[in-house]
Amino acid sequence: MKKEPKLLRFLKRIEPDKKKRPLLHTFYDGMFTFFFTPNEVTALQGVQIRDRIDLKRTMIFVVLALQLSYLLGTYNIGHQHFAALGQYTGLWEGWHLKLVYGLIKLVPLFVVSYAVGLGIEFFMASRKGHSIAEGYLVTGALIPLIMPPDLPLWILALSIVFAVWIGKEAFGGTGMNVFNIALLARAFVFFAYPQSISGDEVWISGIEKVGMAYQGMEYGWIYHLFDGLFRSLGWAEFGSGGQAVADAFTGATPLALAAKGGWEAVTQVPHYSLSHMWWGFIPGSIGETSKPLILAGALFLLVTGIANWRIMVSMFLGAAFMGWIFNLWGATPFMQVPWQYQFFMGGFFFAMAFMATDPVTAAATNTGKWVYGFLIGILGMFIRVVNVAYPEGWMLAILFMNAAAPLIDHLVKRSNIRWRTQKA
Amino acid sequence: MDAINIFIKSAFIENMVLAYFLGMCSFLAVSKSVKTAFGLGLAVIFVLGITMPINWVINTYLLSESGLLHTDLTFLRFILFIAVIASMVQLVEMVIEKFSPALYTSLGIFLPLITVNCAILGGSLFMISREYNFTESVAFGLGGGFGWFLAIVMLAAIREKIRYSDVPAPLRGLGMAFILTGLMGIAFMSLMGIDPAALAK
Repeated sequence: MKKEPKLLRFLKRIEPDKKKRPLLHTFYDGMFTFFFTPNEVTALQGVQIRDRIDLKRTMIFVVLALQLSYLLGTYNIGHQHFAALGQYTGLWEGWHLKLVYGLIKLVPLFVVSYAVGLGIEFFMASRKGHSIAEGYLVTGALIPLIMPPDLPLWILALSIVFAVWIGKEAFGGTGMNVFNIALLARAFVFFAYPQSISGDEVWISGIEKVGMAYQGMEYGWIYHLFDGLFRSLGWAEFGSGGQAVADAFTGATPLALAAKGGWEAVTQVPHYSLSHMWWGFIPGSIGETSKPLILAGALFLLVTGIANWRIMVSMFLGAAFMGWIFNLWGATPFMQVPWQYQFFMGGFFFAMAFMATDPVTAAATNTGKWVYGFLIGILGMFIRVVNVAYPEGWMLAILFMNAAAPLIDHLVKRSNIRWRTQKA
Repeated sequence: MDAINIFIKSAFIENMVLAYFLGMCSFLAVSKSVKTAFGLGLAVIFVLGITMPINWVINTYLLSESGLLHTDLTFLRFILFIAVIASMVQLVEMVIEKFSPALYTSLGIFLPLITVNCAILGGSLFMISREYNFTESVAFGLGGGFGWFLAIVMLAAIREKIRYSDVPAPLRGLGMAFILTGLMGIAFMSLMGIDPAALAK
């Protein structure tokens, strides 16, 4: 018999008693399954074939696919901050400052997201006597990426409580929810606290604190600590902070500019060049900006078979089709934006790769997936261009189609049944 | 063009159920299965689409001061509107009983209750307060009915899907229907704020 690995033996030794300490055991079980897939089988008799890619490993693959977006998102927070102040405007100048600044903004969001969400998961799991469901691993990683960097932490916490409790636990937990949890959290912030997330003005971190020393801001002692490190290395320091917002700085997002003056208005701004928008050095939600890195993550999900290619392809086709229709229509400057350029702005790719492909809330049938994705593409582009109330459409388009997905499945199943009974 | 705008607006942008929360009772009660929801939705489209123009004619030519009687009889509005709606519902009921007895039994008491469905009376009153003309009131009736139909069929499909979910016991059934209506309201907010009239070149 093969010897058990050391880690497994160690974990088995520290396993708490399930009867005496149920809460601790729930926690232990949740941690144990990170390292090893459980060995139990559902029935004692018969042959059982199991795939090692269980729910936890599926979820972790998605988190892995998000890592590139996290990396660039962190850097981009810092880059936008310094660029708006007119310091270190080159992409890689002062990279250490940008990285540290981004981390100081992102880590609290990340920690709060996981702490609140997993807290609710632990609580509900122990209340119900289930083992901990893994669903929040992905949601918790997605939520910081779709929020603006300066979002107050209590709003983030509140939105997660709403989304996880009402949007998921009320429906029976992981895998049962009808609406996408991460988008529900974002929609909650969007409608309840519009001043912190409305997307007409750019989200550049720390703009309102111009003139203030870094040491005086939140987590000032961390800046102080890093300044000491950089000084000893002979690198540039945070110093006393930016004095004023740079002249070249504009307060509008590419989408807001396009809504007013079409594509020409966007291209007039030097830091909204095509390559900046493509590589993601523009302001926006933390994870949405860099298209190639999101596409790399999407490719990873497709290769591992976790995301469904039908939804991605049909959503792209739907958006392109609608953009093309708008080009023909051409009633407003926004409609005249050439359809291929629509993809450089806003959060289309992030929504396509990570939001629409959520297997729980998407349509389940293959035909349904084509319809579902295509309609998201059409609706999202429609909201973005036509609806003046919202700067961007994908969040609400996906939520809308989440609500319609069961109906699409129902119709697909009915037509299948009709087709088969007629054939027979 | 105006009529098309009003149809789209009343169906999607100012949805009767999900924006005004009208017609909730049958919306919540008959949304357990797609089949019955489909039937009731069609009935509501029909009743809204037919009562709206009739009520418009009654209001303009009988009740208003500039009408045929030259007297201001608008205080009779409610009772006459309800009478029209009730007789239309009777008609629908007889048709359904004749042609689809199965649907008739599954709709049960909620079919006659369309009479007091607030969406339908509300529609007629909206029509008066917004001063629609005849074609606009037809479009508004059909559009409002279609929006209601869409909402109830979507809700029914979701409720069929979550029937076997592990919903906490106190929320099963009606509780979930309320929560779902709220969440669908968020989803439908995606279309709020669109002004169809502003899109014309």
